[in-house]
Amino acid sequence: MFVRFGNFGSFVPLLVQNGQQQQQRGMATLKSISMRLKSVKNIQKITQSMKMVSAAKYARAERDLKAVRPIGDGATQFYEKAEIQPVQDIPQKLVIAISSDRGLCGAVHTSVARYIRGELAKDDQNIKVVCVGDKSRAILQRLYGKTIIMACNEIGRLPPTFIDASKLADAILKSEYKFSAGQIVYNKFRSVVSYNTSILPVFSLASVTAAPKLSVYDSLDDEVIQSYLEFSLASLLFYAMKEGACSEQSSRMTAMDNASKNAGEMIDKLTLTFNRTRQAVITRELIEIISGASAL
Amino acid sequence: MSAWRAAGLNYINFSNIAAKLLRQALKADLRAEADKRSGTHIKITKWQEGKPIKESTY
Repeated sequence: MFVRFGNFGSFVPLLVQNGQQQQQRGMATLKSISMRLKSVKNIQKITQSMKMVSAAKYARAERDLKAVRPIGDGATQFYEKAEIQPVQDIPQKLVIAISSDRGLCGAVHTSVARYIRGELAKDDQNIKVVCVGDKSRAILQRLYGKTIIMACNEIGRLPPTFIDASKLADAILKSEYKFSAGQIVYNKFRSVVSYNTSILPVFSLASVTAAPKLSVYDSLDDEVIQSYLEFSLASLLFYAMKEGACSEQSSRMTAMDNASKNAGEMIDKLTLTFNRTRQAVITRELIEIISGASAL
Repeated sequence: MSAWRAAGLNYINFSNIAAKLLRQALKADLRAEADKRSGTHIKITKWQEGKPIKESTY
């Protein structure tokens, strides 16, 4: 601690209680550097092992995703081929945010939440949100808490299963909320280093039966359509969850790789400063000894 | 109207029950693999006015 005395303009170091941590300006003590070095090394160990874990999880998620892709493609084809439009007289919409409980994976959750925030900024009266995963909920809760009608957690620790998706689809269908159309917002996996935040459309029964080109499908009655819609909601959710999980793991892998690299750089710099400081201390002590000896 | 819908199930419940039975019918070695996909962990909570209203176990 330094205290300035009147107009002398000189710094007089005063040793107050923490005399131990007294240090020269601009020069950290050896001890504080070595402590810092140790903590950075520990962080690097942690990020490295997190990277290994997510690399293993990613490999599995990608394998699963390959198997799931046809399910998602099939379900989206129906909406495209029948050219379904949301019915005009029900303005209510539903947005389903696919994220997970776990963080430390780059901008995976924020980009989903940012898209939904953009939608809600346009119209926050007629849109309700279903949050899958604690992270998207935590981001949206503060500004748009009133629009959330359902939140799910315990997702992301283990790979999502179809039963998870069907529970969610069941809960959405059984909720009292009536909507004409909806979006599933998720991260579409592109490669290990990139993902796109995309949307999948979902529609209500009324919108589907009003579709102009529904006749391209043969022998449809109301019950078949209703059953198919229920099932396709579950499969779309399942597909989106799988894409999301895969993007998340790959993104976490990249994030942890970067973190380990940065920690490595920090360690190099700190080691250099540590060695320099140690050298400086030795030199100073030598000077003190020599000048003391020559003063005799 | 089919019997399962009359009983209050929707197609999701119906197909999951069918899938469960199919898994049970598999041979032991294949069944172990299939059982891994039958688990579920998700917890769904309904929200109202920016607050969770009750823990529900769907």
